[in-house]
Amino acid sequence: VSRRKILPTRAALTLTPAAVNKIQILLQDRPEYIGLKVGVRTRGCNGLTYTLDYTKEKDKSDEEVLQDGVRVFIEKKAQLTLLGTEMDYVETKLSSEFVFNNPNIKGTCGCGESFNI
Amino acid sequence: ISRTKAWALSALPPLISTMRYSNSPAQEQQTASQPEDKVHLTESCVKRLAEIMEKGEYLRIQVEGGGCSGFQYKFLVDKVKNDDDRVFEQNGVGVIVDQDSLDFVKGATLDFSQELIRSSFQVLKNPQADHGCSCGSSFSVKL
Repeated sequence: VSRRKILPTRAALTLTPAAVNKIQILLQDRPEYIGLKVGVRTRGCNGLTYTLDYTKEKDKSDEEVLQDGVRVFIEKKAQLTLLGTEMDYVETKLSSEFVFNNPNIKGTCGCGESFNI
Repeated sequence: ISRTKAWALSALPPLISTMRYSNSPAQEQQTASQPEDKVHLTESCVKRLAEIMEKGEYLRIQVEGGGCSGFQYKFLVDKVKNDDDRVFEQNGVGVIVDQDSLDFVKGATLDFSQELIRSSFQVLKNPQADHGCSCGSSFSVKL
Protein backbone atom coordinates (compact mmCIF):
# COMPACT_ATOMS: atom_id res chain seq x y z
CA VAL A 1 0.00 0.00 0.00
CA SER A 2 1.61 3.14 -1.14
CA ARG A 3 0.86 6.41 0.46
CA ARG A 4 0.21 9.33 -1.75
CA LYS A 5 3.09 11.69 -1.56
CA ILE A 6 2.47 15.40 -1.71
CA LEU A 7 5.36 17.07 -3.37
CA PRO A 8 5.96 20.75 -3.22
CA THR A 9 5.92 22.42 -6.60
CA ARG A 10 7.10 25.87 -7.44
CA ALA A 11 6.76 27.81 -10.62
CA ALA A 12 9.98 27.55 -12.58
CA LEU A 13 9.76 31.20 -13.39
CA THR A 14 8.06 34.05 -11.59
CA LEU A 15 7.01 37.26 -13.22
CA THR A 16 7.07 40.67 -11.61
CA PRO A 17 3.97 42.87 -12.01
CA ALA A 18 5.91 45.02 -14.48
CA ALA A 19 6.71 41.99 -16.62
CA VAL A 20 3.10 40.74 -16.50
CA ASN A 21 1.85 44.15 -17.50
CA LYS A 22 4.25 44.45 -20.44
CA ILE A 23 3.53 40.96 -21.71
CA GLN A 24 -0.19 41.68 -21.57
CA ILE A 25 0.31 44.83 -23.63
CA LEU A 26 2.51 43.00 -26.13
CA LEU A 27 0.03 40.16 -26.61
CA GLN A 28 -3.04 42.38 -26.79
CA ASP A 29 -2.13 43.52 -30.29
CA ARG A 30 -1.09 40.06 -31.38
CA PRO A 31 -4.00 37.67 -30.82
CA GLU A 32 -2.37 34.99 -32.97
CA TYR A 33 0.21 34.35 -30.27
CA ILE A 34 -0.57 32.55 -27.02
CA GLY A 35 2.43 33.69 -25.05
CA LEU A 36 6.15 34.24 -24.93
CA LYS A 37 8.87 31.63 -25.04
CA VAL A 38 12.05 31.95 -23.03
CA GLY A 39 15.17 30.10 -24.03
CA VAL A 40 18.90 30.18 -23.65
CA ARG A 41 21.48 30.19 -26.36
CA THR A 42 25.24 29.78 -26.35
CA ARG A 43 26.49 33.25 -27.08
CA GLY A 44 28.44 36.08 -25.55
CA CYS A 45 31.58 36.33 -23.52
CA ASN A 46 30.19 34.47 -20.54
CA GLY A 47 28.71 31.48 -22.30
CA LEU A 48 24.95 31.86 -22.37
CA THR A 49 22.35 34.44 -23.21
CA TYR A 50 18.57 34.57 -22.90
CA THR A 51 16.25 34.54 -25.87
CA LEU A 52 12.67 35.71 -25.94
CA ASP A 53 10.16 35.13 -28.72
CA TYR A 54 6.46 35.10 -29.36
CA THR A 55 5.01 31.64 -29.59
CA LYS A 56 1.91 30.28 -31.30
CA GLU A 57 1.84 26.89 -29.63
CA LYS A 58 3.18 24.96 -26.67
CA ASP A 59 5.80 22.41 -27.61
CA LYS A 60 5.63 19.03 -25.91
CA SER A 61 8.75 19.59 -23.89
CA ASP A 62 8.00 23.18 -22.90
CA GLU A 63 7.34 24.07 -19.30
CA GLU A 64 4.33 26.31 -19.01
CA VAL A 65 4.16 29.11 -16.48
CA LEU A 66 0.78 30.72 -16.04
CA GLN A 67 0.73 33.78 -13.87
CA ASP A 68 -1.85 36.53 -13.66
CA GLY A 69 -3.33 35.53 -16.98
CA VAL A 70 -0.16 35.58 -19.04
CA ARG A 71 1.56 32.49 -20.31
CA VAL A 72 5.29 32.07 -20.60
CA PHE A 73 6.86 28.89 -21.95
CA ILE A 74 10.33 27.70 -21.09
CA GLU A 75 12.27 25.70 -23.61
CA LYS A 76 13.48 22.31 -22.45
CA LYS A 77 17.10 23.34 -22.72
CA ALA A 78 16.51 26.37 -20.51
CA GLN A 79 14.45 24.73 -17.77
CA LEU A 80 17.29 23.84 -15.44
CA THR A 81 19.09 27.07 -16.11
CA LEU A 82 16.07 29.22 -15.35
CA LEU A 83 14.73 27.39 -12.30
CA GLY A 84 13.76 29.95 -9.67
CA THR A 85 14.37 32.93 -11.90
CA GLU A 86 12.40 36.12 -11.64
CA MET A 87 11.55 37.81 -14.89
CA ASP A 88 11.28 41.57 -14.63
CA TYR A 89 10.67 44.38 -17.07
CA VAL A 90 12.73 47.50 -16.59
CA GLU A 91 11.95 50.65 -18.49
CA THR A 92 14.08 53.79 -18.46
CA LYS A 93 14.10 56.79 -20.73
CA LEU A 94 16.90 55.38 -22.85
CA SER A 95 16.17 51.68 -22.81
CA SER A 96 13.57 49.10 -21.95
CA GLU A 97 14.30 45.45 -21.39
CA PHE A 98 13.24 42.18 -19.84
CA VAL A 99 15.66 41.31 -17.06
CA PHE A 100 16.15 37.84 -15.63
CA ASN A 101 17.16 37.69 -11.97
CA ASN A 102 18.59 34.21 -11.93
CA PRO A 103 19.79 32.72 -8.62
CA ASN A 104 21.75 29.98 -10.41
CA ILE A 105 24.29 32.08 -12.21
CA LYS A 106 27.90 32.33 -11.18
CA GLY A 107 28.99 35.24 -13.27
CA THR A 108 27.77 37.77 -15.77
CA CYS A 109 29.20 39.98 -18.42
CA GLY A 110 29.42 43.72 -17.83
CA CYS A 111 26.32 44.41 -19.84
CA GLY A 112 24.33 41.71 -18.06
CA GLU A 113 23.30 39.97 -21.25
CA SER A 114 25.70 37.07 -21.05
CA PHE A 115 26.12 34.75 -18.07
CA ASN A 116 27.41 31.38 -16.90
CA ILE A 117 26.06 28.87 -14.41
CA ILE B 1 39.90 37.98 -20.12
CA SER B 2 39.17 41.63 -19.52
CA ARG B 3 42.04 43.84 -20.54
CA THR B 4 42.12 47.48 -19.64
CA LYS B 5 43.66 49.55 -22.35
CA ALA B 6 43.50 52.92 -20.76
CA TRP B 7 46.98 53.60 -21.99
CA ALA B 8 45.61 53.57 -25.52
CA LEU B 9 44.11 56.95 -24.76
CA SER B 10 47.51 58.58 -24.82
CA ALA B 11 48.60 56.68 -27.91
CA LEU B 12 45.87 58.14 -30.11
CA PRO B 13 46.56 60.80 -32.75
CA PRO B 14 46.06 64.47 -31.82
CA LEU B 15 42.50 65.72 -31.62
CA ILE B 16 40.93 67.32 -34.63
CA SER B 17 38.90 70.34 -33.71
CA THR B 18 36.72 70.59 -36.78
CA MET B 19 33.03 71.08 -36.27
CA ARG B 20 30.46 69.66 -38.59
CA TYR B 21 26.71 69.84 -38.38
CA SER B 22 24.24 68.05 -40.58
CA ASN B 23 20.75 69.23 -41.48
CA SER B 24 21.02 72.39 -39.46
CA PRO B 25 21.46 75.32 -41.84
CA ALA B 26 21.12 77.81 -38.99
CA GLN B 27 24.36 76.55 -37.55
CA GLU B 28 27.72 77.71 -38.80
CA GLN B 29 28.92 75.34 -41.47
CA GLN B 30 32.56 74.37 -41.55
CA THR B 31 34.23 71.84 -43.70
CA ALA B 32 35.49 68.73 -41.99
CA SER B 33 39.03 67.68 -42.62
CA GLN B 34 38.04 64.06 -42.16
CA PRO B 35 34.69 62.82 -43.41
CA GLU B 36 34.64 60.07 -40.76
CA ASP B 37 35.08 62.45 -37.89
CA LYS B 38 31.45 62.26 -36.83
CA VAL B 39 28.82 59.93 -35.47
CA HIS B 40 26.08 58.84 -37.84
CA LEU B 41 22.51 58.46 -36.63
CA THR B 42 20.11 55.92 -38.06
CA GLU B 43 16.50 56.72 -38.85
CA SER B 44 15.21 54.72 -35.89
CA CYS B 45 17.64 56.51 -33.59
CA VAL B 46 16.47 59.93 -34.75
CA LYS B 47 12.84 58.87 -34.45
CA ARG B 48 13.28 57.54 -30.93
CA LEU B 49 15.22 60.60 -29.77
CA ALA B 50 12.45 62.83 -31.10
CA GLU B 51 9.97 60.82 -29.02
CA ILE B 52 11.78 60.82 -25.69
CA MET B 53 13.82 64.01 -25.60
CA GLU B 54 12.38 67.27 -24.42
CA LYS B 55 13.56 70.59 -25.71
CA GLY B 56 17.16 71.26 -24.77
CA GLU B 57 17.90 67.63 -23.96
CA TYR B 58 20.58 65.72 -25.76
CA LEU B 59 21.78 62.15 -25.76
CA ARG B 60 25.35 61.99 -24.54
CA ILE B 61 27.62 59.13 -25.55
CA GLN B 62 30.58 58.46 -23.28
CA VAL B 63 33.29 55.90 -23.65
CA GLU B 64 34.84 54.59 -20.48
CA GLY B 65 37.08 51.75 -19.42
CA GLY B 66 35.15 48.69 -18.36
CA GLY B 67 33.16 45.76 -19.65
CA CYS B 68 34.58 42.46 -20.74
CA SER B 69 36.44 43.87 -23.74
CA GLY B 70 38.17 46.86 -22.18
CA PHE B 71 35.94 49.78 -23.12
CA GLN B 72 32.25 50.35 -22.91
CA TYR B 73 29.70 52.83 -24.16
CA LYS B 74 27.57 54.79 -21.77
CA PHE B 75 24.41 56.67 -22.71
CA LEU B 76 23.05 59.59 -20.71
CA VAL B 77 20.51 62.33 -21.08
CA ASP B 78 22.22 65.69 -20.78
CA LYS B 79 21.23 69.34 -21.07
CA VAL B 80 24.66 70.88 -20.70
CA LYS B 81 27.12 71.29 -23.54
CA ASN B 82 30.73 71.62 -22.44
CA ASP B 83 33.57 73.28 -24.30
CA ASP B 84 35.08 70.04 -25.54
CA ASP B 85 31.77 68.60 -26.70
CA ARG B 86 30.81 67.92 -30.27
CA VAL B 87 27.13 68.02 -31.18
CA PHE B 88 25.68 66.02 -34.05
CA GLU B 89 22.23 67.23 -34.98
CA GLN B 90 19.74 65.72 -37.33
CA ASN B 91 16.05 66.56 -37.82
CA GLY B 92 15.90 68.52 -34.59
CA VAL B 93 17.52 65.98 -32.30
CA GLY B 94 21.06 66.11 -31.04
CA VAL B 95 23.73 63.74 -29.82
CA ILE B 96 26.65 65.01 -27.75
CA VAL B 97 30.03 63.32 -27.75
CA ASP B 98 32.97 64.72 -25.86
CA GLN B 99 36.21 64.95 -27.77
CA ASP B 100 37.97 62.18 -25.84
CA SER B 101 35.10 59.77 -26.40
CA LEU B 102 34.77 60.80 -30.04
CA ASP B 103 38.22 59.37 -30.76
CA PHE B 104 36.77 55.98 -29.89
CA VAL B 105 33.49 56.27 -31.77
CA LYS B 106 34.18 58.45 -34.81
CA GLY B 107 32.72 56.99 -37.97
CA ALA B 108 30.38 54.78 -36.00
CA THR B 109 26.61 54.64 -36.35
CA LEU B 110 24.23 55.14 -33.47
CA ASP B 111 21.11 53.03 -33.71
CA PHE B 112 18.04 52.42 -31.60
CA SER B 113 17.46 48.70 -31.77
CA GLN B 114 14.06 47.32 -30.91
CA GLU B 115 13.74 43.69 -30.03
CA LEU B 116 11.26 41.82 -27.91
CA ILE B 117 13.74 41.20 -25.13
CA ARG B 118 15.24 44.70 -25.13
CA SER B 119 15.08 48.08 -26.80
CA SER B 120 18.12 50.25 -26.42
CA PHE B 121 20.56 52.58 -28.11
CA GLN B 122 23.53 50.82 -29.63
CA VAL B 123 26.72 51.84 -31.35
CA LEU B 124 27.03 49.94 -34.60
CA LYS B 125 29.78 49.63 -37.18
CA ASN B 126 32.40 51.36 -35.07
CA PRO B 127 35.54 51.54 -37.20
CA GLN B 128 37.63 52.10 -34.05
CA ALA B 129 36.43 48.89 -32.39
CA ASP B 130 38.25 45.65 -32.95
CA HIS B 131 35.82 43.14 -31.54
CA GLY B 132 33.11 43.56 -29.04
CA CYS B 133 30.98 41.75 -26.57
CA SER B 134 27.82 40.10 -27.84
CA CYS B 135 25.68 42.80 -26.32
CA GLY B 136 27.59 45.51 -28.17
CA SER B 137 28.09 47.63 -25.08
CA SER B 138 31.72 46.67 -24.59
CA PHE B 139 34.51 46.67 -27.14
CA SER B 140 38.26 46.66 -27.60
CA VAL B 141 40.08 49.16 -29.79
CA LYS B 142 42.10 48.61 -32.93
CA LEU B 143 45.71 49.52 -32.40
